Amino acid sequence: MKILTCPLNGPRNIAEFTYGGQVKPMPNPTEATDQEWAHYVFYGDNHIGVVREWWMHTPSGYWFIVERHNQTDEVMRTYDPAELFDPGSSPATEPVQADP
Amino acid sequence: MSLRSPLEGRGMIEGHGGLRLIDLTLARRGGLRGSGAREWLLSQGHTVPAAPNQIVASGESDSVMSLSHREFWLLQPNCGASSARPAAVAVAAGIWPLYCQHSHAWLQVAGEPRAEIMAKLCGVDLSEAAFPQGSVAQTQVARVSVIVAAHQDQDGRSVFSIFVDQSLARYLWEVISDAMKEWLG
Repeated sequence: MKILTCPLNGPRNIAEFTYGGQVKPMPNPTEATDQEWAHYVFYGDNHIGVVREWWMHTPSGYWFIVERHNQTDEVMRTYDPAELFDPGSSPATEPVQADP
Repeated sequence: MSLRSPLEGRGMIEGHGGLRLIDLTLARRGGLRGSGAREWLLSQGHTVPAAPNQIVASGESDSVMSLSHREFWLLQPNCGASSARPAAVAVAAGIWPLYCQHSHAWLQVAGEPRAEIMAKLCGVDLSEAAFPQGSVAQTQVARVSVIVAAHQDQDGRSVFSIFVDQSLARYLWEVISDAMKEWLG
């Protein structure tokens, strides 16, 4: 069983997590063209390297961010979204370094 | 209209080593979520855990459980459940009530072999060494999402309180009671 480290709950079986897609900027829903919105919803980068992804720890309903190499599946880091989107605010938890 | 437990009629299961499985679904609990929830609970005279995923005694028989820095449940096993839903308005600015009385069933496992029983069902090590009194795990038991809290009941016994979605309560009762079988008389 793969183990992923949740910043709130610690290391858990991967079966406890749900993938939420790439972290990418959302266009303004009221101003974006249909094409821009469709691109946001349906398209993603497909490069090999470190990607930034949304994951949810299902039992706690806690969304967080994972930096993962999509070729080796090595997880570099997991952290609270406040670190990315609301720097300076109090996060739901302190960031935790992924297991080596 | 009064609340009913999905485990109505299940009674209690007892076994060797003080083993006991009971249904506390009709005991009172309430939750709060919001950036000011901790301060609000403190202002009401409650003891509040210092970090997420912990449970502390508060007052004579209550406990406060932290599920994040912003979410807390107040457990009151000596009080009956209130059938009224909490108002859908803020308790205070930025602090919202949670419907944990209505959303979750509350099972409690007491007795010496409780960690061994849970080891059959749960990937998290719930032994006393790894999961001491005061610990809370939001995890899966028998593949369903639960909250497990290690604390003492009102009689001073070490217990696991297990909170599970009401719709899964019967299933979880069955799998825990099945895991208990080797300790039953």
